[in-house]
Amino acid sequence: MSTPPVLEVSDLGVHYGQRHALHGVSFAIGKGELIAVIGPNGAGKSTMFKAICGLVNHDGVVEVNGVHCHDHTDRMDLAYIPQRNDSDLNFPITVGELVLAGRRRFHRWYARPTSADRAAAAEALDRVRLGGTEHRALTEFSGGQLQRAYVARALAQEASVVLLDEALSGVDQPGTLELIEVFEGLAAQGTTLLVATHDLALARRRFNRCLAVNGTLRADGAPAAVLSAEALDATFGSGGRSALAD
Amino acid sequence: MHWLTDPFHAEFMQRAFIAAIIIGVVAPVVGTWVVLRRMANLGDAMSHGTLAGVGIAYAAGVNVLVGAMGAGLIIAVLLLLFSSNRRLGQETVITVLGTAFFALGVVVISRLDTGVELSHFLFGRVLTVQWSDIWLNLGLGTAAVLVVAALFGDLRLATFDHVQAEQVGVRVELVQSVLVLLLAIVVVISLRTVGTVMTITLLVTPPATARLLARNLRQMTMWGVAFGVGEAVVGLMLSYHLSSAPGATIGLVAAAAFAVVFGVTLPRRMPHHHRPLD
Repeated sequence: MSTPPVLEVSDLGVHYGQRHALHGVSFAIGKGELIAVIGPNGAGKSTMFKAICGLVNHDGVVEVNGVHCHDHTDRMDLAYIPQRNDSDLNFPITVGELVLAGRRRFHRWYARPTSADRAAAAEALDRVRLGGTEHRALTEFSGGQLQRAYVARALAQEASVVLLDEALSGVDQPGTLELIEVFEGLAAQGTTLLVATHDLALARRRFNRCLAVNGTLRADGAPAAVLSAEALDATFGSGGRSALAD
Repeated sequence: MHWLTDPFHAEFMQRAFIAAIIIGVVAPVVGTWVVLRRMANLGDAMSHGTLAGVGIAYAAGVNVLVGAMGAGLIIAVLLLLFSSNRRLGQETVITVLGTAFFALGVVVISRLDTGVELSHFLFGRVLTVQWSDIWLNLGLGTAAVLVVAALFGDLRLATFDHVQAEQVGVRVELVQSVLVLLLAIVVVISLRTVGTVMTITLLVTPPATARLLARNLRQMTMWGVAFGVGEAVVGLMLSYHLSSAPGATIGLVAAAAFAVVFGVTLPRRMPHHHRPLD
């Protein structure tokens, strides 16, 4: 990596009481990388994302753009998009208001969004191909469109690293392809994206790096290497090869 | 026409209508967030639990509103303390606290030898509201509405997606604590108007009715206030003519409005109205 990393994780670990959910995870990620995070259910992918974002107590060090993160205020260059079922889609909020929420980091609690904020939100929606949908309700969106709206919120937040948890789950084939094209476009423009996914074939074809996680970091590198039969067995156990075949 | 104007002739009714309008505005403004955050159980426990403060204040010769506010704050603090226990769900802790404080209030009031009846506090005595009560309620109510207006963006963010809210700098736990404090204020304002039992009605039913009509939060708040004021005034007017309990009559009007709006909006909520765009 020639440029300094935008995200550097050293010896990251999370434990709940005596149980270690994650331990010894270290990696560095550069600007504009599109990374698939793979691993079986319960492997610690979501826990790793939450630890990076400071949402759970953790050991180890997280640095974002060279800044050692101690609390949330140090992590505002990160955007975490949880699994879809975590938020109430019937909540009375428009797509425009959702994206505008990303601008909150630039204001005090009592301040109202400015015209510049609205322009930034509109531009973010354009970048994810949802321009002109500001007044739509979330319930009018498909799964893929919702994910793009959340990514737009991350762009409005001016996050340099976006972590998407199971972003492709429940999204149909055309929606998945459109989402991947948006990810590729954003990565080309300098945004770094980490996407937790179970779609290993897609990870091999469309991502430029893979992190394999199962309790710790099992493999890190180009998709071809991380998705080799041996590496998959190390991550998924004996079912790893069939996971790729699926 | 006389049917509409008669209730306004007596000064005690004028005071009652002003008190009803104040609670009709403030309760839905706060209640919108109670409904969206699914905190109705907390509102119920808080409104019942303040009876302990009311009873103790009455026995001590202190203003009952001060007692109610004190009890509300103590419940809020205890709730925050006990909620950290992960073995018990928050709903369980809320119910234990609410019923304990309610029971304490009933015991204290039942032992009072001053002729005061438990039902006065349970269902309110809006016809005995004094101007001093109205000024106090107006002050507290205005403060509550201003706090909600100032915190509107953070309340929306913390309610919809508390994870993202924390990421962009919202102090989610502080927002939650402020909301519990606002809840205590609504309970205090409601005490004389609809009583501790029916407070939850104005806190939850108008915003729930508004939720059926509104596309966004501003609309929901506006509709909630419209329903809250309308139901409080109509309920009071009906109670005057029917000689029925004002608080309970307001509660019935609110429930009737909810039922009508629920029925009218039913076709709009059918699944075919939520087609994805693509």
